[in-house]
Amino acid sequence: MGEAIVVTSGKGGVGKTTTTANLGTALALQGKKVCLIDTDIGLRNLDVILGLENRIIYDLVDVLDGRCKVHQALVKDKRFEDMLYLLPAAQTTDKNAVNPDQMRELVMGLKEEYDFVIIDCPAGIEQGYKNAVAGADRAIVVTTPEISAVRDADRIIGLLELEENIEPPKLIINRIRPHLMKAGEALDVNEITTHLSIDLLGIVADDESVISSSNRGEPIVMDPTNRAALGYRNIARRLLGESVPLMTMEKQNQGVFSKIKAIFSK
Amino acid sequence: MKNLVYIKGTKQGLVLQLDDQCAYADLLAELQAKVSDPALDGSVEVQVNLGYRFCTEAQQKEIVATVQSNEHLRVAKMRSEVITVEESNRRIQERQSETYVGIVRSGQIVKAQGDLVVVGDVNPNGKVVAGGNIYVLGRLKGQAHAGSNGNREAVIAASWLEATHLMIHDTLEIMTDELTVLSEQPEMECAYLHNNGHIIIDRLQELRYLRPEISTFKGGS
Repeated sequence: MGEAIVVTSGKGGVGKTTTTANLGTALALQGKKVCLIDTDIGLRNLDVILGLENRIIYDLVDVLDGRCKVHQALVKDKRFEDMLYLLPAAQTTDKNAVNPDQMRELVMGLKEEYDFVIIDCPAGIEQGYKNAVAGADRAIVVTTPEISAVRDADRIIGLLELEENIEPPKLIINRIRPHLMKAGEALDVNEITTHLSIDLLGIVADDESVISSSNRGEPIVMDPTNRAALGYRNIARRLLGESVPLMTMEKQNQGVFSKIKAIFSK
Repeated sequence: MKNLVYIKGTKQGLVLQLDDQCAYADLLAELQAKVSDPALDGSVEVQVNLGYRFCTEAQQKEIVATVQSNEHLRVAKMRSEVITVEESNRRIQERQSETYVGIVRSGQIVKAQGDLVVVGDVNPNGKVVAGGNIYVLGRLKGQAHAGSNGNREAVIAASWLEATHLMIHDTLEIMTDELTVLSEQPEMECAYLHNNGHIIIDRLQELRYLRPEISTFKGGS
C-alpha cells in the first residue's frame, strides 16, 4: 500500500506543478512506482511539463464518470520504464465535474498499485482544492520567499490542519534567490519557517533552466548537475525517509546555509 | 392580611421590599394600591427589591410600569437575589479563561466568551475575539478584538504586539506607520482603551497599575 501526497500552495504560480513533476520523476528515478494526478481540471499543465501532452487519450473526468478504466487513462512515461504514470486532468470541463468522494475512492484504488500517488492541486481554496486534498495522506505546501505566497501558504496550512486524515503538512520553499535573501530583499528561509511553524521539507533554488527544461517537457531533475534538480532530488530522498542535510546550493551563500543548519540541528 | 410591600425611606430615596412568597397577582395588586397612595408626593427615586422571587423580563417591566404609574416615582434600580441557570452560566463563562494552543493562521477566527489565552502566534489575517481580555504568549501579528460583549476595561497583551488591527469594545485602531503609539520595540506590551476613547499601547509592566482588577491572585506574601 503506497501513500498519497497532495502538493498545494494556495497562491498560483509558486511551482506546484513543477514540484509535482520533479518529485514524481525523482521518486521514479529512485526506483519507486509513482502515479501523478493532475486535478487542475480546465487548466491542465502537468502533462505539458512532463512532455506527455500528445499521449493523452482519456482523462480524470472520463475515469470518474465511468467512460473508461483507470489504467486506460494513465499515461506511461516511457523514459522511466514502468515507474512513472500520469493521470491527466480534463480540459473541457471545470472543477465542479468532480467531487471529493470520487477522488478519495480513486486515490484509494491507485495506492494499491503505486508506491506514491502525488496529487497536483490547483491554486485557490475552492472545489479544486477540496477535490485534491480529499484522498491525501500527507500534504506538501509549496511557497516562495514572497510575502503574498507566504500569506496564502499560512491560510492553506490552516485549512490542511483541519483535515483529520492528513498528517501535519510539510513545507517546500521554492525559487530561492540567494543574493536577494542575503541582501534582505526577500524573506529568508528561517523567517518563513518560523512564521509558518511547520517542518521544512526542502528548499529549491530559482534557476532559469527550470523554465527551459519544462518547455522541452523534461523535468529538471533529469539533469543531475543542476542546483534546482539537486533540491528536488534531496526532497525526494527525504520523502523516502533518508535524512539528507540541507543543502549544497548554499555553498555560494554561507549565511543561509548556517541558518538552515540551525533549524535542522534543533 | 400580611403586608406584601414594605416601603422604606433611605437617603437615596425609597426602597420597595416586595414579598417573595405570595402569588404574583396579589403582589402586583398590593403594589398598585401602595403606590397610588396620595401621601407619596414629591419626586423620588425608587429601588425595588424582589428578594428571592424570580421575575421574567416581562414581569419586571410590569412592576416598573406599576411603580411608575405614580408619576412622582422613578425606578432607579431593581435587585433580585436569584438569577436563572442560563444567566449564571453566562456570567461564569465571561469570567472564565479559555486557552487555545496553536497558531491562529490566516483566515482563522478564534473566539472566547471570557478571557482568551493563545499559546502560539496569531498570524496576519488571523483573528482572535474575546468577551474579556486577550493574552498572546507569542507574536500577535494579526487582529485582536477584546471586550467584544461591551467590556471597555478589557486589555490585549502579547509577548510581541505587532497587530494589524486592535479593537477594544467598539473602538478600532489600525496599526499604521503614522500612529504615534507604536513603539520601536513591540516586545511585552499591552493595549487598553484610554478614557479619551483611544487605544493606547503601553509596556506590559504597567498593566497592574492600569487594570488592577485583572489580578485575581489572593495568596502569597
